[in-house]
Order: sequence, then C-alpha cells, then structure tokens
Amino acid sequence: MSEFYQGLAEILEVEESEVRSDMELGESWDSLAVVSTIALIDDVHDVTVHPNALVDCKTVGDIEKLIEEERAGASKG
Amino acid sequence: MRARTSGARIAGVASCVPPRVVDNTEFERRFGDGAAEVTKMTGVKLRHYAEPGVATSDLCEKAGVHLLEKLGWDRDSVDGIIFVSQSPDLLLPATACIVQARMGLRTGIIAYDVSLGCSGYPYGLWQAMMMVQTGAVRRLLLMVGDISTRCIDANDRSTAMLFGDAGTVTAIEASDDPSDTAFFVLGSDGRGAANLMIPRSRQRNPDAVGKLEGRDLDALYMDGGEIFNFTLKSVPPLIRETMEWAGESVESYDSFLLHQANTFMINHIAKKAKLPKDRVPINMDRFGNTSSATIPLLMTTDVSDQLKAGRCKLGMFGFGVGYSWAAASIDVGPLTVADHLIL
Repeated sequence: MSEFYQGLAEILEVEESEVRSDMELGESWDSLAVVSTIALIDDVHDVTVHPNALVDCKTVGDIEKLIEEERAGASKG
Repeated sequence: MRARTSGARIAGVASCVPPRVVDNTEFERRFGDGAAEVTKMTGVKLRHYAEPGVATSDLCEKAGVHLLEKLGWDRDSVDGIIFVSQSPDLLLPATACIVQARMGLRTGIIAYDVSLGCSGYPYGLWQAMMMVQTGAVRRLLLMVGDISTRCIDANDRSTAMLFGDAGTVTAIEASDDPSDTAFFVLGSDGRGAANLMIPRSRQRNPDAVGKLEGRDLDALYMDGGEIFNFTLKSVPPLIRETMEWAGESVESYDSFLLHQANTFMINHIAKKAKLPKDRVPINMDRFGNTSSATIPLLMTTDVSDQLKAGRCKLGMFGFGVGYSWAAASIDVGPLTVADHLIL
C-alpha cells in the first residue's frame, strides 16, 4: 500500500507517516480529492472505483475496503 | 462504431477568441484557497470571455472570412456549412443558415447545425468528409465553437474557473490523394446525460432535488467525479481502438489532440494510454476548456507550426457531454492556413 499511501498523503496534504487505515479523511475529502484519488487508485491498482462510493468513505480504511471489493469484482468478471 | 472516409482533406483551419482575457485573480478572491486547488487540477490560468452581445457565430464568422481569404477560396465555391455547437445563436433558426447569409455564401447550399460538445469536432469532421465522399459537396466549412461562459454559475468553482469561449472553422475539400483516408470511431451513452447538463429548458423544468438541490437550473451542472470516471473507463480504450482501426501504432502519430477537458485528466489518460507526453499538446492553461472547439484550437495554436511545415498524422479524441465520444486518425497538412485570431 506504500505507493497508495504516498499518493494519498499528497492529495490530503499530510505527511505520509500520518496515513494509516484508521485515519479520518475529514474536511479535505472534497470533490477534487475524490477525483485525484480515483486517478491514484487507477494508477496503483488498475481499477476504477465509483465516485459516489468514494465520496461516502470516512477513513483511509474505507477506501482500502472499496479497492479490495473492486479488485475482487474485476477479477471475477 | 467505426467509420472510414476517403476523398476528402482538411485544407485549412482558423480559430477566433474574444479579446477579453480573464485570469484567476477574481476567482482567488471569490473562492479563497479553493481556487488554487482547482487551478492545480484543471491547469487553467487564463480564458477568453465573450462580451455581451457576441454570439458563437461571430467568432466563427471572423475565422471563416479569414480562412476563405487566405485559402483563396471564392465564396461561391463553398457548397455547405456544418455548425457544431451547444451554444447556438438562437434556438431557431439553425445558426448555419444565419452564417450562410451573413458570409455571403451561395443561396441553396447545404447548411445545418449539430448539437454536440466535447465530442463535436471529430463527429463534425466525419460528417463533413462523408458528405464530400457522397459527392454532395466539394467544399465545405465545418464551424465548431461554443460560448460556454454565459451558462455557468459564477459561484460553482467546479465550472466557473474551467471554461473559455472560442469559435473555429475548418475548410474541407474533395481530394484525389489516396492518403486522404480518415478513420473514425464514434459512440454515445446517454445514461450519463444527467452528469453534465443544463437542467432546465422551455421543454423541461425539473424539480431541484437530489444533486440539483439549491442549484441554478439554467446553469451548467457537472458531476466531476462521474465525468472523470467515464473518461477513465472509455478514453484509453477509445485511443487503442482508433489506432487499431487505422492500422497504426503510437509511434506513427505526430500529435495526439485530446479534448482539453482538464489538465490533470489529460495527463492521466496520456499516461494510461502510454502516449509520449511531448506529443500530447495542452493549451488549456491559456484558453480553458472551450468545449467543442478545443481540438481545432490546438491545431491553430500549439500544433499550427507543425501543420504548416508538413504532413502530420493526427489522433483526435473528443469525449464528454452526452455522454458522447468521437475519435479520428487522419493525415493533415502541409496547411497554408492554421491561424489563430482575436475578435
């Protein structure tokens, strides 16, 4: 996940060391951050997550769960 | 859908923008720190705004008059106009008819409008070349442009800072050269219609609920996340399919002209489709997203010298509102005219 955390730290404008699964996305989780994260996930994991699902994420762990679901779906079909 | 045309070529292209340049100062005042975030993503530093009273046809007319003069085309030799825009002068009549008379083109020529935005240029090129191929016309003006800045909500940072105005005209004529074969890939998916639209018209007046709650229904609504998602899923395959259909590889292209939707998005698509960055020109820092006009505007600015110097293989990719997409693989040049004008 390090490449993903590095990218996420840049998007959320925090230090990479601060990014953990239980980190709250907080107020910086706006539409621009969502779009940047869609691109980041596409880069790192080669899957496209749905923006509405991403908007609903509250923590970094929620995003990771979403990626896992999408990857499982992608490998099935 | 795949299509191929032959027997038609691009003879020249001209663009015209209104003189008023708007930088980011006002937006920084209005949106505070949020403005810099938007700029970082969209890459737009300057855009041209049409003054009140100026319509899309005014920009196209100036470009058209210049083009005819520089090409040495007699007005009577033009057999048709296709006007592609989502900001026509009037709801009716068709702007193509208005421009035909105003430019003093022959009575009786073919003239009609096409309502497409981001995908409009390759779509229009396909229509124009097809029309030449049928023998209906020998010379045609493809007018493509939009004044988008009047239908945006000044307080919506996702659209207010993004758009600019421009009009373009491309001259198309019959050709015997066998290398004037163009390959097109075209498509649409109206399931995405509600993600980029002006919600209200005289025919439709929806309730301002859900995503539209609290919004000005006469202003452009854009769901940036959905649009980005659509682009990410559809454009890299579109680029691959277009090259495959034309029987070409990335190396054969001199330039990949991508609709200037958003700089971050263009860079991401280019990376994903493995396009060399130096062959993916970006001019939206100076013009913003000019809707249907972005691709021909690249041809008259960043790619103009290249097109004047010799023959170029161009990949063109338009995608967005509709959803609608269109791509072209086409050899163009050397052009005598690839000029950019100020109204």
